[in-house]
Amino acid sequence: MQYLGVELIKPKAAFFDFSCCEGCQLQIANNENKLLDFISLVEVVNFREILTERNNDYDIAFIEGSITRKDEIDRLKKIREKAKILVAFGTCASFGGINKLKNKFKDIEWVKKEVYGNCPIETNDKVMAVNEVVKVDFYIYGCPVNKSEVEAIVQSIALGREFRYLKHPVCFRCKEKQNICLYEMGKICMGPLTRAGCGARCPSNGNSCIGCRGPAEEPNIEFMKTIMIKNGFTERQIRDKFELFSAFKE
Amino acid sequence: MDLSLKYQDVLSDNKKIKTGGRLNRKTDLGNFEKTYKSEITGIIELTPLEKLFQIQIIDQDERERFSFKPGQFLMLEVPGFGEIPLSISSSPSRRGVVELCIRKQGRVTKFLHKMQRGASVGIKGPFGTHFPMEKFANANVLLIAGGLGLAALRSAIYYVEENRNMFKDIFIMYGTNDPNQMLFTYQYETWKKTDGIKLFTIVQNPDKKWSGRVGLITDLFNEIVIDTSNTHAIVCGPPVMFKFVCNKLNDLGIPMENMFVSLERRMHCGMGKCCRCNVGSTYTCLSGPVFDYWTVMNLKEAI
Amino acid sequence: MIFKTIDKKDFNKFLEILIENNSFFAPQKIAKDKNNKPIYDLRLVNDFKEIDFNYDILKYPPRRFFLPYREAISSFEIKNSSWQQNINYETKVPRILLGLHPCDINSLNKLDKVLMLGDYPSPYYTIRRKNTFIIGMDCDPKPFCFCRSVGTHTVQHGCDMFLIDIGDRYFIEIFSNVAFDFLKKVTTKDITKKDDDEYKRIRRLKAEKFTAKIDVTDLTKILDMEFQSDVWKEWGDKCLGCGSCARVCPTCYCYGIEEKIDLKFQQAEKLKILHACTLIDFAEVAGGFNFRPERHIRLKYRYYHKHRGFVEAYEESLCVGCGRCGEACLAGITVPEVISSIRE
Repeated sequence: MQYLGVELIKPKAAFFDFSCCEGCQLQIANNENKLLDFISLVEVVNFREILTERNNDYDIAFIEGSITRKDEIDRLKKIREKAKILVAFGTCASFGGINKLKNKFKDIEWVKKEVYGNCPIETNDKVMAVNEVVKVDFYIYGCPVNKSEVEAIVQSIALGREFRYLKHPVCFRCKEKQNICLYEMGKICMGPLTRAGCGARCPSNGNSCIGCRGPAEEPNIEFMKTIMIKNGFTERQIRDKFELFSAFKE
Repeated sequence: MDLSLKYQDVLSDNKKIKTGGRLNRKTDLGNFEKTYKSEITGIIELTPLEKLFQIQIIDQDERERFSFKPGQFLMLEVPGFGEIPLSISSSPSRRGVVELCIRKQGRVTKFLHKMQRGASVGIKGPFGTHFPMEKFANANVLLIAGGLGLAALRSAIYYVEENRNMFKDIFIMYGTNDPNQMLFTYQYETWKKTDGIKLFTIVQNPDKKWSGRVGLITDLFNEIVIDTSNTHAIVCGPPVMFKFVCNKLNDLGIPMENMFVSLERRMHCGMGKCCRCNVGSTYTCLSGPVFDYWTVMNLKEAI
Repeated sequence: MIFKTIDKKDFNKFLEILIENNSFFAPQKIAKDKNNKPIYDLRLVNDFKEIDFNYDILKYPPRRFFLPYREAISSFEIKNSSWQQNINYETKVPRILLGLHPCDINSLNKLDKVLMLGDYPSPYYTIRRKNTFIIGMDCDPKPFCFCRSVGTHTVQHGCDMFLIDIGDRYFIEIFSNVAFDFLKKVTTKDITKKDDDEYKRIRRLKAEKFTAKIDVTDLTKILDMEFQSDVWKEWGDKCLGCGSCARVCPTCYCYGIEEKIDLKFQQAEKLKILHACTLIDFAEVAGGFNFRPERHIRLKYRYYHKHRGFVEAYEESLCVGCGRCGEACLAGITVPEVISSIRE
């Protein structure tokens, strides 16, 4: 395939899931009307949710999930060695995600017991984002990822151009949809700090933004906290928002 | 009772008023987004980072109508990638054909560098102000460029070459960081051969092969003697460079109103609509890109 | 100018027919805030009963009917190394907007100067502007309104008709031929001395109700003098850089172009998306250099354009004093406060 006379790259892509719900992969598999076009951009050689065959020859590795076990660390390192481009696919891979909440607790044995009861479980004490283990070339944010953003990123790879992330916060897109600000409705919202690109899906449906896409470029976190307090939200409510996905640095 | 509004066909009304069918984006509504489809007819590699693209408007009628003045810019469209503002580097006497010196830098230019001869791009323009060459008649002219600034200056160089008798002494001064960043080296001999044009080049960081001058572009002023009471200057380059050069020229006695610089800003339209090239209280695309230095001094954050 | 009065019940009938014959937008209650206070905005109405005349302010400016937040301005069919451009100058059916306040009508007049009356007129804007019938309505100043300071509290032109509520009748200012012809079909009355007095009384009362204000005396010069002032940094520390101010501003017109290629690489679309000068990448150029790298610089430029640059070009401010930006700003950055802080 070519575009304006320039030959396109058709990379071989493999999807790998680590500790996660596989919801991000599902976003791609679910995108029925565009799935065929999508897989014409890349040659998918490994994708548990749509393919039975597996092939270990790939250029791009999409890594979904966070890293929680020792064998995952080894597996990830092996993938990194093979892949020309390694993509952190989704919030868990990019930041650690919900799984990383575990790191907040001091007593890891208590956590295991609380979550798994008496079931034997093998898990590291700390959950890691992909970039804490290997080098990451691209990030695709979101819980789950936004299908059209994934398509745009993969298309950029095919065209050999850099993908341009939106740098502004969700607020900007939310106002475009002429929503009423959730603060006006008495709700707390991470929209002013979170990176846009999701189409302000949550606030458009009356739900607070929970910051799954991580911080926008140079967010004004300090003053936003002051605003949250001024709006009557408690330290705890604020912390819940900031810490949910471990995407915001303290 | 019927109270329904009638549709006003603004576009054809506009056509009725502006007869003649001339394409004039400045006044005709229907031509706002019109892009001249053009072909890349030649690509010359100047440095590892810069290529010179020769571009010709495909439609003959459009080609004959297209003309520009030195210093003006156009918007180059690569469908699917975007539109970027570029100074025209070629001779204003050539109609419908432009040369654009393009550095591999952003998304559009990186793709352009992969494009081949024969591929189509789009151009809109020309836009903006130009170097007022006619005002320089019977005066000495200093043409000063730093780095990629030579791309914007080159059309003025063609102009003085082709209208040599209009002007008194002409000095071209060009400086870069490294010798391998020098653009259009293959033309230096031709420029020098034109009666009375003096060319000076200088680099900051010479390599082993370089045998010319070493230093800053302002050092060149030690070598020349000019009658400052009758001299105009065009200075193209990064803001730091033209600030130093213009201040130096001012110290030598040239009024700031006689110096012209070209500003670079982000642009999305070239027609004073998108606001992105907003500088101080004005727009680079409409009041610029060519400004006299006095105006630049009075614009906030221009330099 | 031609003045008339019309009984409210006759006017309501007039609206009913307009609604029936046209695509008609009018104020409606769209939500309630946390204090149970209703929020209003323009919505398409199919029935006269849907109109809420008790609206105080339209939440979002009517700018979107003329300058949408995002629109496809042209597209390209890609064929090998060549292409064909299709330009989409929109030709939507005409529409009617009811209930625009003077600030909003004046905001359109200001946009006209840039997008319709100057060099390079925009067909996208002009087509919509010429095909929108506007019925303006007078308003009561809210605590955040400072339109009087910038002279946009009255309407000189820019709409088809303007209504002032004088009890059981409306006092109508007729601005366009279309409006005049429409009104010929219903019962209107010539104005009497009594109407005249009532009009003046109401206007006087309105003028007294303003609480917020800005002082624009020598503002262009003061903005130049205070260009390096630390006051900007203080505001910059608060600014969230979210662009909400520009989203709710009735006069912001800056935009960015984004081009998209379909997954089959056969089509490219050129989207025009309204941008905001307070966003981080507003003045970033290829290669990553940013002409306005800091929040306070971007915020300063917002004020600089509205109150300095536009004044220089058109001898009037680009701000209409509607106060929406201050209301929308979570950080509480309001125009009157910013202007007074730099004047101090």
